[in-house]
Amino acid sequence: MSTTTAGAMNAPSQASARRKTVGLSLLFVAMLAFPLLPQTGIPFFVNLGGQANVDVLSTTISYALLAMGLNIVVGFAGLLDLGYAAFFAIGAYLYGVLTAFQVMPHWSGFWEPFAYLGLVHKISMGGAEVVHFTLSFWLAIPLSALCAALFGVLFGFPTLRLQGDYLAIVTLGFGEIVPIVFLNATPITNGAAGLNGIQAPRLFGYNFGVNSVPYYYVAIALIVAMIFISIRLRDSRIGRAWMAIREDEIGASAMGVNLVNFKLLAFATGAAIAGVAGTFYIAKLQTATPDMFNFNVSAMILVMVVLGGMGSVWGAVAGAVLLSVLQFWFLQDLTSWIHTFGEMTGFTYLTKLDLVQSIDLIFGVILVVMMLFRREGLIPAVRRSPNLNFDAQHAVVQRGGFVGKEKLGRYTAEPGNALEIKDVTVRFGGLVALNKVNITVPSGSVVAVIGPNGSGKSTLFNVISGLVQAESGSIKYHGAEILGLAPHKVLEKGIARTFQNIRVFPNLTVLENVLIGQHARLRTGPFGAILRLPGTRAEETRAVEWAKDIISMFGNRLAPRVAQTVSGLSYANRRRVEIARALASRPKILLLDEPTAGMNPNETLELAEQIRDLKSLGLTIVLIEHKLDVVTRLADNVIVLDHGEKIAEGPADEVRRNEEVLRAYLGRAAGEAAHAA
Amino acid sequence: MSGLSLFVQQSINGLTLGAMYALLALGFTMVYGIMELINFAHFSVFMVGTFVALYTFEAFGIFGQSTILHGLPLIGVLLAAFIVTMVVCGGIGMSIERFFLRRLRAVKGPASMITTIGISYILSNSVLLFIGGQGFNFPNPIPPVRFHFGQAVMQVEQPLIWVVSAVLMLGLTYFVQATKLGKAMRATAQDPEAARMMGVDVDRVILTSFFLGSALAGAAAVIFGLYYEYTNFYIGFDAGLRAFTAAVLGGIGNVPGAMLGGLLIGIIETMTSQFISTNWAEVVIFSILVIVLVFRPAGLLGRVAPNKS
Repeated sequence: MSTTTAGAMNAPSQASARRKTVGLSLLFVAMLAFPLLPQTGIPFFVNLGGQANVDVLSTTISYALLAMGLNIVVGFAGLLDLGYAAFFAIGAYLYGVLTAFQVMPHWSGFWEPFAYLGLVHKISMGGAEVVHFTLSFWLAIPLSALCAALFGVLFGFPTLRLQGDYLAIVTLGFGEIVPIVFLNATPITNGAAGLNGIQAPRLFGYNFGVNSVPYYYVAIALIVAMIFISIRLRDSRIGRAWMAIREDEIGASAMGVNLVNFKLLAFATGAAIAGVAGTFYIAKLQTATPDMFNFNVSAMILVMVVLGGMGSVWGAVAGAVLLSVLQFWFLQDLTSWIHTFGEMTGFTYLTKLDLVQSIDLIFGVILVVMMLFRREGLIPAVRRSPNLNFDAQHAVVQRGGFVGKEKLGRYTAEPGNALEIKDVTVRFGGLVALNKVNITVPSGSVVAVIGPNGSGKSTLFNVISGLVQAESGSIKYHGAEILGLAPHKVLEKGIARTFQNIRVFPNLTVLENVLIGQHARLRTGPFGAILRLPGTRAEETRAVEWAKDIISMFGNRLAPRVAQTVSGLSYANRRRVEIARALASRPKILLLDEPTAGMNPNETLELAEQIRDLKSLGLTIVLIEHKLDVVTRLADNVIVLDHGEKIAEGPADEVRRNEEVLRAYLGRAAGEAAHAA
Repeated sequence: MSGLSLFVQQSINGLTLGAMYALLALGFTMVYGIMELINFAHFSVFMVGTFVALYTFEAFGIFGQSTILHGLPLIGVLLAAFIVTMVVCGGIGMSIERFFLRRLRAVKGPASMITTIGISYILSNSVLLFIGGQGFNFPNPIPPVRFHFGQAVMQVEQPLIWVVSAVLMLGLTYFVQATKLGKAMRATAQDPEAARMMGVDVDRVILTSFFLGSALAGAAAVIFGLYYEYTNFYIGFDAGLRAFTAAVLGGIGNVPGAMLGGLLIGIIETMTSQFISTNWAEVVIFSILVIVLVFRPAGLLGRVAPNKS
């Protein structure tokens, strides 16, 4: 029965995939054929083909490249970059300076090897022999990608620690500085007048010159490559890590994502694409001035991404195409029609109207309208979740723990203590959140931490997982110090956690969430993700299988919902996803922060049995829990915290009778009042 | 001019520019303090303010620099220009909050900020389309009185600008520190949720802060016009970015910080232009922005940090 449902679910998706392939192929062929179309001489849209239109299409594709690059930064990784044009400028000027007749040092023997490689030519100017740089366009493409990526890292490194809004303003600052530097570095860039006579590309001796058609085919090759790269990155470990950062930075780092590296990678990838676009754009235009790269360009690219849908690859392309068609064809044609109409009817006001000038106004309107009414864009990145049938919706309370817990494998519990916390003190300003706390967690045991609200339980978890810095003390994991490690390092060691207020990635599917849990255990890098060699493919397949295994352990609760986005799940199911995600990282120690909060008694019982399953497999568990029956049922040892201090420790029954504990829970005043009476 | 005279001269100019940036920075800082939102629309509200002031002067029959007034008529016209511009700008700011940003307040992520960028574009390009893209001569009815300190010159506008800015900033400080609505404002900045539960009308507080911030931008706009005797549709971007830097430098969300930051940025700008090069003034200012954000994100006087957890 399960095979038929799976088949039924797959059939339409296969058909739609086939339709998509056919559609894209047709579009591709149409684009290839575009320059061959005849010019009819009829205005607007029918007048296809021809140099001017082919050139406009190439420009459109340059913008689409930029939009896709920005989409990686803003859409995938959620880093709002308002100075993206800076990288466009860097790519453009790299090629411009190295091919225009601007920087021409005196000829010397030093240049001979470069001349041999064809990178420079000796020319005579005013009697003197000087160097003319003639960097090949084909070499400039990877070089400008590299150079822009380098600047991306350079700009990104100091700024990526900043929170979203600040990042936006700093990138805006960089976006302003870069064109100003090009404007002021007159000896190299020729200042406001700009670079002229930038060399046209050559291919096998054929000079592109001012013929639009060869540029157009280069543009198509570039866009196809970038779409391919974008999609490959999106559907890989890399893309998942970016989206995890976008959805919840703290959750991402706690699940093993190195925030700095992955943010820099997004920044550098976006910058590299802009660099390539810059080189192409300038080779086509053969001139470059600083004002071609000001804030308006950054804003226009952002409008394209917002219009298409942040995080959506095809959306970015569509946004770029729509806005380019609007400004290069539609508004111009409309203006000329209105002028003609004005001349015919005698309304002089109409003959002066220039709608092309209003393009920035239209950009503004698009931004506002999209944000107010359709934030996901025209082609949303988030797929619609498939509907659930009645069986799938109807969850059955499980008895006896996990379904097929053996899938998880046995955790060979190393002997000794899994965790030794010694004299850990955490202070927030004047408040002492933890005061010289000592806790020992033997390998393979379940330790419960209880205490009134504000007693420091969650701070304890935060300091273990590296989210909060301790003032003093030591935390040893199987004898190795882990205090001071970054959260992703702690997870790599084998300590995974869940959060009291659930930090799942709401706009990603259940499967994607659990896959991100494996981030630290997978090796795929950016190049592996793009090339997707057999090794990478096998790793990804294994990862998906393992994720599905873990999801299926929760039975009917999660298994039918693999493809659903987590934002649509119930509270209890989101908790289960978070636990599944933590288990996917193959932890040795699992920190569960109030796992049964918000669950009804049946669900609580179900989860308690599952936790016991985990223990029986050899997993060490530290549990923060308010429900004392759960604590009694599971815990080998109970730690009681109050006002940041450990006030009691021992087996559950013993702790229950402890006077300190009673006072902590019932309150000192209540105790004293009872005493006085 | 001797080095010292140049220094005195640029200090006078820098304080004047700084007073204007401070007024503009207050709008950023108040909105950020309460909503954690960088309000890009503030740039354009300021720019629109210069045009409101320009038309107000022209309504009084003052065109260019040819009509010079003295005594009470001068005070009356200036007062009218300030009040009209501040009210109109305050109204625009309130409308932006009421009709656009309020709908997005519950939305996580950059939606609000992107909306303010959009509004900024709409405002500045509406001016471009319907008023024009050329530079406009800004009327100035103040007599061209000059004071001399050695070789340095101070125009009568400059102390006037200082006095107006000081009065407005003192007024704002009084409002925030001593009135009930000001207290509600500070409470909302600390924790909107808790403030709401304590009976603070958070909607009203936010609306008020938009009104005040935008009204101060209006005052800054009149000052800009009187000082430069010039305006166009894109002045908002440069001045706005400098003012934002000032807010960050002083500690965003911090009202005295914005004032201090404004003055510092004004002086840094004039000194850089004088002693390094006008071309690099912008680079220096943005570098300060980046350096402050990276090494001391709380700014000089410390941020009134909204508790984000």
